[in-house]
Amino acid sequence: MSSDRPGFLGFGLGLRIPHYQSIIEDWPEIDWFEIVSENYMVEGGKPLYYLDLIRERYPLVMHGVSLSIGATEPLNRQYLRELKALADRVNPRWFSDHLCWTGHAGTNMHDLLPLPYTDEAVRHVVARVREVQDFMERPMLIENVSSYLTYRQSAMTEWEFLSHIAEQAECLILLDINNIYVSAVNHDFDPYDYLNAVPVDRVAQFHLAGHTNHGDYLIDTHDHAVIDPVWDLYAAALRRFGAVSTMIERDDHIPPLPELLQELEQARAIALPILEEQAA
Amino acid sequence: MSRLGQLQEEFQRAVLTRSDGFNREVVDSGRIGPARRVEIYADAYRGRLVDCLADSYEAMHSLLGDEQFYRLAHRYIDAHPPRHYSIRWYGDQLAAFARRTAPYSEHPYIAELADFQWQLLTAFDAADVAPLTADAVARVPADAWPCLRLRFHPSLRRLMLQWNVPAIWRQIDAGADRPEAPRRSEQPRPWIIWRSELMQRFRSLGADEAWALDHAREGASFAALCEGLCDWHAETEVAGRAAAMLKQWVGDGMVVGLATD
Repeated sequence: MSSDRPGFLGFGLGLRIPHYQSIIEDWPEIDWFEIVSENYMVEGGKPLYYLDLIRERYPLVMHGVSLSIGATEPLNRQYLRELKALADRVNPRWFSDHLCWTGHAGTNMHDLLPLPYTDEAVRHVVARVREVQDFMERPMLIENVSSYLTYRQSAMTEWEFLSHIAEQAECLILLDINNIYVSAVNHDFDPYDYLNAVPVDRVAQFHLAGHTNHGDYLIDTHDHAVIDPVWDLYAAALRRFGAVSTMIERDDHIPPLPELLQELEQARAIALPILEEQAA
Repeated sequence: MSRLGQLQEEFQRAVLTRSDGFNREVVDSGRIGPARRVEIYADAYRGRLVDCLADSYEAMHSLLGDEQFYRLAHRYIDAHPPRHYSIRWYGDQLAAFARRTAPYSEHPYIAELADFQWQLLTAFDAADVAPLTADAVARVPADAWPCLRLRFHPSLRRLMLQWNVPAIWRQIDAGADRPEAPRRSEQPRPWIIWRSELMQRFRSLGADEAWALDHAREGASFAALCEGLCDWHAETEVAGRAAAMLKQWVGDGMVVGLATD
């Protein structure tokens, strides 16, 4: 599987149910959409009806939450078959999931749980990413998650863990800028150290999102606007990684589409001068 | 088991049972201790599943109120940790759970409403098949009618309901704060749920139509349906009655195929 960075899609949004109608009525100027794969791994009805209309007009990428690439039980073949069937229908530019595990021994906690940053976990995940990429026959991106605890067993930093896996598995990275910020606060590291250690040629997509501040710690809730320190980190990411497809994720307290488009304009306003300067 | 597998087993147990055995594996940074860090995950786990159940069972949430509904949700979560890869399927056992678990089992309308809501949800994203038009039925030659067999839309569900849960659901869906009280009828009544034009629909059936629909779904011919309907109607009327039912099923968008061989 080639790990060449796919082309720059521009500025996109996560496709969400409350926006379906306004998208197919107004066909707003959004460069691309990211879908949550599992929401469309159904047999029919409204989800696939809207998806089919929208994919005619916009490039799509698929973003999954259930692969559980870091779990120790075998990969769920049924899940993979259904994921591939959806990919065959949608023809996404790429697909992604999280560098995490979601459950053990048949249980699915429906959460993106962190892994211990060990050589054992690197080897385990690398083998599984290769297996998934071979099966899907498409480029795969792995995303850094927000986390709230560190294992005593961890023997490297999160950015070393992510980079080792991407390099050894020859996969791409979906860098979630907000997740870096959230984990930096929760684990007292410098988010710029993280950013500056991730291999440039692996990063193919950025996520931007808001979070909830609990005082002592932050939780990655995707229910607020992007905050200024995350915009600053995004600007630094653009300087390091160049033109990387960028999107805003909002999963709760979803505002009307125009409000999210305004937030996306902010991303564009930050990115374009940096990218123009790089091009000069 | 690998060291990684052991860690995950312990982490999962801590999240599911709120036990403290995993805390020793977590770095104590001073500012936030291991117990609190693990608790963040345990809280998120429950919160996410409660939200999911509240979303899938909106009418039940409204009928029972926050306190009762959340109590039911937490008991269900304790009894049924999620197994499916998609959270969309979480809650599929709620009706069965309410039917066998006190105090919900003493109020059978709770299980019935859960069943009704879950069936509506499964009709929502059942497979797509284009419904047949009235023209397609009109083109069936007269001599082929006795052999006529029907195929139905994959979203079609048949239920027996003894309580007024469809009326309660409809009132809550329309925004009523105080829907009518649960009321039990003498006998369970046949109902159907299906999807037409992307919308879920439901209606009750008479005993004759329920019998005919059940048998038509099992592949009974039009002639066999007419014969069976003699239990309800005079022999001279059954063909007309069966044809009227078929017309209604087609008009409802429930019929997707005809076979006359």
